[in-house]
Amino acid sequence: MTVEYDFDVIIVGAGLAGSSAALTLAKEGKEVAIIERGQYPGAKNVSGGALYGPVLNKIVPNYWEEDAIERYLTTKKITLLSEKRAMTIDIDLQDFAEPPYNGVTVIRPKFDRWLAQKAEEAGAFILDNTVAEDFIWKDNQIIGIESGEDELKAKLTIIAEGAVTLLAEKAKLAKKPSPSHYAVGMKETYELKKEIIEERFHLNGNEGISNEFLGYTHGIPGGGFFYTNKETLSFGLILNMKKLIQKKIRAIDAFEDFKKHPYIQKLLKDAKMVEYSAHAIPEGGYKHMPKLYGNGVMIAGDAAGMVLNAGLYIEGMNFALESGRLAGLAAKEALTTNDYSAEGTKIYLKLLRDSFVLQDLKRFKRAAKFLERERIFNVYPELLNSLMYQLLHNTGEPRKRIVPTAIKHFLKKGKLFKLMGDAFAALRSI
Amino acid sequence: MVENPIKIEEKLALTKYVTDKNFAHITINEEICKTKCKTYDCVYGCPAECYKLVEDGDVPVTFDYAPCVECGTCRLVCPHGSVDWHYPHGGFGVEFKMS
Ligand SMILES: Cc1cc2nc3c(=O)[nH]c(=O)nc-3n(C[C@H](O)[C@H](O)[C@H](O)COP(=O)(O)OP(=O)(O)OC[C@H]3O[C@@H](n4cnc5c(N)ncnc54)[C@H](O)[C@@H]3O)c2cc1C
Ligand code: SF4
Ligand code: SF4
Repeated sequence: MTVEYDFDVIIVGAGLAGSSAALTLAKEGKEVAIIERGQYPGAKNVSGGALYGPVLNKIVPNYWEEDAIERYLTTKKITLLSEKRAMTIDIDLQDFAEPPYNGVTVIRPKFDRWLAQKAEEAGAFILDNTVAEDFIWKDNQIIGIESGEDELKAKLTIIAEGAVTLLAEKAKLAKKPSPSHYAVGMKETYELKKEIIEERFHLNGNEGISNEFLGYTHGIPGGGFFYTNKETLSFGLILNMKKLIQKKIRAIDAFEDFKKHPYIQKLLKDAKMVEYSAHAIPEGGYKHMPKLYGNGVMIAGDAAGMVLNAGLYIEGMNFALESGRLAGLAAKEALTTNDYSAEGTKIYLKLLRDSFVLQDLKRFKRAAKFLERERIFNVYPELLNSLMYQLLHNTGEPRKRIVPTAIKHFLKKGKLFKLMGDAFAALRSI
Repeated sequence: MVENPIKIEEKLALTKYVTDKNFAHITINEEICKTKCKTYDCVYGCPAECYKLVEDGDVPVTFDYAPCVECGTCRLVCPHGSVDWHYPHGGFGVEFKMS
């Protein structure tokens, strides 16, 4: 008996991965539908908001000509925080002030809606307010999804459900993840006048800054982020789930404590909080990804664990966009050959391997393990800040020479060998 | 200056919800929490204070689905499989505007 298909491809989730896949397929003239549980695409989605411009430009050429992004990033700051102290590396790259822009900031409810609309304009159907609950199976092959009483059949299904991998697990491609390989990310959005943002952070026009933080998290592996939007600020903290619960510190308290740091308080001065949000983030990296394809199915974006935790920042939106695009291309191939089995969808893996998606994730595959070392998040920021304090602090006495002071400082703290060990491990993993 | 520390209820009051009064999308098995759990990981993991520790209560934690931001953390941190996790029905639940 032949199956009556409603669509060529059904995509679960109108996040970045889903809409990118839908746009790719719709442009190829395929019949494609996105199922989105939110009130509209983006209503459920959270990110810090920093995204690589060239990746976006591949999916929507000349994206900057539209009202999709907030600011383009020209200043990057990395700050080590410890009690009362902060040390910042401040990089200003005006090279990044030209389209396609190296990095941009986005607000997801707005950005996701825009991207989904692009897919819709290209011919994709968007079914929002709808939860895909389970699959329809036939002879070990996924042939569509169920939502309540409704059934929708398709030759292929792309799972782009994000970090909560209910469907990837139901498709028997993923196991329920361990909290060791996940983080919880909390975010606050603040309103601040455009002029004040530009003056406070030395920005010309639509330039923006990103500031990432290490330390001051009770030793919990993770870090803070701060990005400027047009008239808002994105500020948040990401903490490894397993270490958080082991420390018995509530995520919400760790976040409030972090925010108390004087450096953070200055960034947020006079700004008014307008929204709070939070989301889980896969951060196990390359070693903990699920199987990426099967009979009638492929997985893209966070659902596939495609997030790079490089210690100072989390990258997931770029991987979501690109893996979605590649899943779209792979689906097109499988539709051309009429092979919807795992043999037909396998080409997805090849496309991923040839792209930055699997290459970058693989290159950083040891990072996740390395970043479990707690001292990176408590000892080193404190060590460097206290060294700076020693070097700069005037006691009214004759001053000491810099290099011997530094060596003595590290030896006294008994950290020199560990530091060298970690530096070596860092070189290998990050 | 930012008020500090600001209570989580005040923060969540800024977030928009379309609460489904007829469907608790997440439920916990109180029997498991009572007899098996000693760590209460859900309380530490949840970023919306849906889980609260109760001193000397019959059940050690209380759970309220209304402030849930659907982050997925409790599903992963509960070590005893006590959390039955679903999404709210389509169109219900949290609705972010600025995140
Ligand atoms: C606090 C925080 C900060 C971050 N900062 C950054 C950053 O600065 N830069 C960066 O690159 N990445 C960042 N990330 C990671 C980034 O947000 C994710 O990698 C990205 O959102 C993944 O996109 P996605 O399309 O795979 O999933 P999502 O964006 O999560 O989209 C999944 C979609 O599927 C829908 N959905 C799920 N299940 C169903 C279902 N059953 N039926 C119907 N619809 C469903 C959801 O509603 C959602 O719209 C951050 C994450 C967090 C939480
Ligand atoms: S961690 Fe799980 S078992 Fe323990 S109290 Fe929370 S929900 Fe119950
Ligand atoms: S999904 Fe997240 S916000 Fe909702 S109850 Fe679980 S941990 Fe709390």
